[in-house]
Amino acid sequence: MRTKSHFIGTYFHRRILLALLLLAGVVFSSVSAVAVAADDTITIGVVLPTTGSESKPGQYQKEGIELAIKQINDAGGIMVKSKGKKFKINEIFYDDGTDSKKSASLVERAMSSDNAIAVLGGYSTALGTAESVMADRYKTPWITTGAGATAIFGKGYQYAFGSLSPVALIGTTSAEFLGYLIDQGKLKKGLKVAMVVENTDHGTDYINGFNEWANKHAGYFQVVMNEKFELGATDFSSILQRVKSSHADVFLSDAHLPDYITMHRQYLQNGLHHQMISYGARGPESAARQALGAGTDYIFAGIWWSNKLPYPQAKKFAEDYKAFTGHDVDSWYAAPAYDGMRILAQAIEAAGSLDKTAIRDALKKVELKESVLPGQKLKFAANGQAEYPFVITQNKPDNKVDIVFPKDAATGEPVAPIPNK
Amino acid sequence: MDAAEYLDLLLKALLLAGVYAAMAVGMTVVYGVMKIVNLAHAGFLMLGAYFALELFQHFHIDPIFGAVLALPVFFLFGMAVHWLLVRWLPKSDTPTLASLLLMFGFWLVLQNIGYAAWGNEDQSILTPLTLSSVHIGETISISKVNLVVFAAAVFCMIVLQIVFHRSWFGRSMRALIQNPYAAQIVGVDDQRTSRMTFGLGTAFAGFAGALLGMLYSFAPDFGTRPPFLLRSFVIIVLGGLESVSGVALGAVVLAILETFSTMIPFPWYWHGWKWHYLPPSYQTVVPFALLVVVLVIMPKGLAGLFNRKWKAA
Repeated sequence: MRTKSHFIGTYFHRRILLALLLLAGVVFSSVSAVAVAADDTITIGVVLPTTGSESKPGQYQKEGIELAIKQINDAGGIMVKSKGKKFKINEIFYDDGTDSKKSASLVERAMSSDNAIAVLGGYSTALGTAESVMADRYKTPWITTGAGATAIFGKGYQYAFGSLSPVALIGTTSAEFLGYLIDQGKLKKGLKVAMVVENTDHGTDYINGFNEWANKHAGYFQVVMNEKFELGATDFSSILQRVKSSHADVFLSDAHLPDYITMHRQYLQNGLHHQMISYGARGPESAARQALGAGTDYIFAGIWWSNKLPYPQAKKFAEDYKAFTGHDVDSWYAAPAYDGMRILAQAIEAAGSLDKTAIRDALKKVELKESVLPGQKLKFAANGQAEYPFVITQNKPDNKVDIVFPKDAATGEPVAPIPNK
Repeated sequence: MDAAEYLDLLLKALLLAGVYAAMAVGMTVVYGVMKIVNLAHAGFLMLGAYFALELFQHFHIDPIFGAVLALPVFFLFGMAVHWLLVRWLPKSDTPTLASLLLMFGFWLVLQNIGYAAWGNEDQSILTPLTLSSVHIGETISISKVNLVVFAAAVFCMIVLQIVFHRSWFGRSMRALIQNPYAAQIVGVDDQRTSRMTFGLGTAFAGFAGALLGMLYSFAPDFGTRPPFLLRSFVIIVLGGLESVSGVALGAVVLAILETFSTMIPFPWYWHGWKWHYLPPSYQTVVPFALLVVVLVIMPKGLAGLFNRKWKAA
C-alpha cells in the first residue's frame, strides 16, 4: 500500500525530473544557438533605450537597424571572402533604460560576453558618451547612431564611429539658413539673436556651430543673450523673462523633446513672439504638435533626415520602414540608424574577414553610396564621425512640414518672418 | 528688468508654488500618519495624468473635471493598495527600510504597468485653456491653466484643513501624528485611519497628476521626468514633514527661490570682487541645496521653526 510520504516523494521526484529535463532542453538549445551562431551568423550588438525618457527615439533607431538587418539577411547575408561564404546577422539587443551607466555596461557585455564583432547604439549624447569608452577598451568597432556631439570624437578613439553629422552643424546650418533669409530680403541684417540651449555637449556644440558661421559673416547677427538650462526643468519663467527683456528678433534654442514641449508651452503662454524660432533638431515631432497644436507652426529645425527628401532611396526607405513597422517614419531618428547598420555591413564585406581590427580599418575607408541621408553619401571622417549636410524643415499649418533649406532639396518656401497672430 | 517684470515673475512663482503644493500634499498626509516616505507617489501622479487623458480622449471630459473624478477613484485605489500591501509593513515611529523598499518596488510596478498600457510615447492634453493666458498690461501674463491648478491646490489645502480639524477622521489622524500609542489607548482604530489616510494621500496624488497633465507632457516615468518626486520630498521636508500648512509654505519658498535664484546678483571673487548671477543651468541645484540646508539647520522644517518662535513668544 502506498503511503502519503511515498506519494509526496514520488511527486517531488517527478517535479525534479521535469525541472532537469527543462534545464537540459534550455542548455541544449543555447548550445545549439551558439553553434549556429558560430557557423552561419555573425553577432552584432545593439544597445538603445526603449524605456525611459529617450525611449521613443531609441525605439525608432532600433527599428531602423532591424530593418537594415532584415534586408541584409533577406538578401542572403554579408559575404566574407576569407571564409568563402555569406553570413547572416544575429542581432543581440539590450535596452539600457536611458541610463548611461547601464548603457556602458551593456555595451561592455555585448563586446565581451556576447563576443559581438561590432556594436551599434547610443542614442543621445549622454548615453553615447558613456558607451564610447568601451570601443577601444575591447577593440571592437562601435557606431553610435544617435550621439552627434563632437566631444565624443575628439578623444582619439580608434574604434568609435558615428553616423550622425556633428551637432555643431545644426547651429552652422541654422545660421546659414537665417543668413539666406536675410540675403533674400525676408529678414533684416543685424538680427538680434537670443540663444537658450540645454546644458550638455549638444547645446555647447550648437552654440559653437552658430557662432562659427556668425563670426565668418560679420554684420548678420548680434547675439544678445546666450544661456543654458538644465535638462528636465519644470519652469522656464525666469529664462523666458530674460528672453523677453533682451528684445531679440530671433529665438534659438537647442533642447530635447520634453524640454522643447515644456519651454514652448510657457513661451506661448507668456505671449512671446519672434521673427523666427527654432529648438535645434526639434520641431516637427508629432508629440509636440499633439501637445501644442498650432502653437508649433513655423518653428524651424535643423535635422539629420526628413521623409520629404527627394531621393528615390529615401522614399523607398520610408515605404520599407512603414511596411516593416506598421507606422510612418515621421522623424529623423531611424534613418541614421538604418544607414549605420548598412555601412557596417559594407565594411565587413570590404574587410573580407571577421577580424575586428580589419573591420575597423574598413570602416575608416568605406563610403556608403545611395545613402538615404542628405548628400546621398555616408563616409566617416578621420575622427570617426560622419559629416553630411543638414536639412532645415519648417512646420506649416495643418500639421504640414516642408524642407525649406537647402534650396535644391526644398519642398516649400520658408515663411519668414513668422506671422504674429 | 523693471518692476512690472519682477511682479510678473513673482506671480508666476506663486502659481508654480500652487503646482508644487498640489503634488506634494498627498505625500505629506501619508508621511504624517504612517511615517512612510511614499516613493510610489510619482506612480500615482503618473496614473492621475493618464486617467485624465483617457477621460479626455475617449469621453471628451475636460481634464479639470477629470481631476475631480480622480479624487474618489484614487481614494478607493489607495485604500485597496493599503489593504493589499501597506498594512503588512511593521509599525514604526520612523520611516523603515521595509517601507521604502516596498513603495519603491510598487512604483516600479506602476511604471511598468504604464509602459505596458500606454507605451513609451510622450502624451499631452491640449485643451483651449492650455495655451491661453490673462494679460495685464504689456508685461504681465498669467497662464489660465496655472491659475486653475493654483486654485485647485488652495482648494486641496482648505479641504484638508477642514478634514483635519473638523472631522472624527481628522482628529484620529492628528492623534496618530502626535502619539500613535496614546491614540490607540484612547480608542483610535489605527488600521482604519491609516487605510483612509493612504486613500486620501493617493486621491490627492491622482488629482494632482491629472492637473499636472495639463501643464507638462508625460510618459510612464512621469514624476522622475520632470523630477516632481524630488521636489515633493524637498517641500515636505521644508514644511516640517507632517504639516499641511507647512507644505504650502515649503512650496512657496521653493518656487520663489527657483524662480528668482537666477535673477538676484551675488558678490563673487573672480579676478576681483564682482556681482554675478546664478546661471539658469544651476536652477535645478536649488532644491538639492535647500534640502541639505533644511536638514542641517532646521530638521523640523519651517513649521517647526515658526512653532519654536511662537512658543518662545
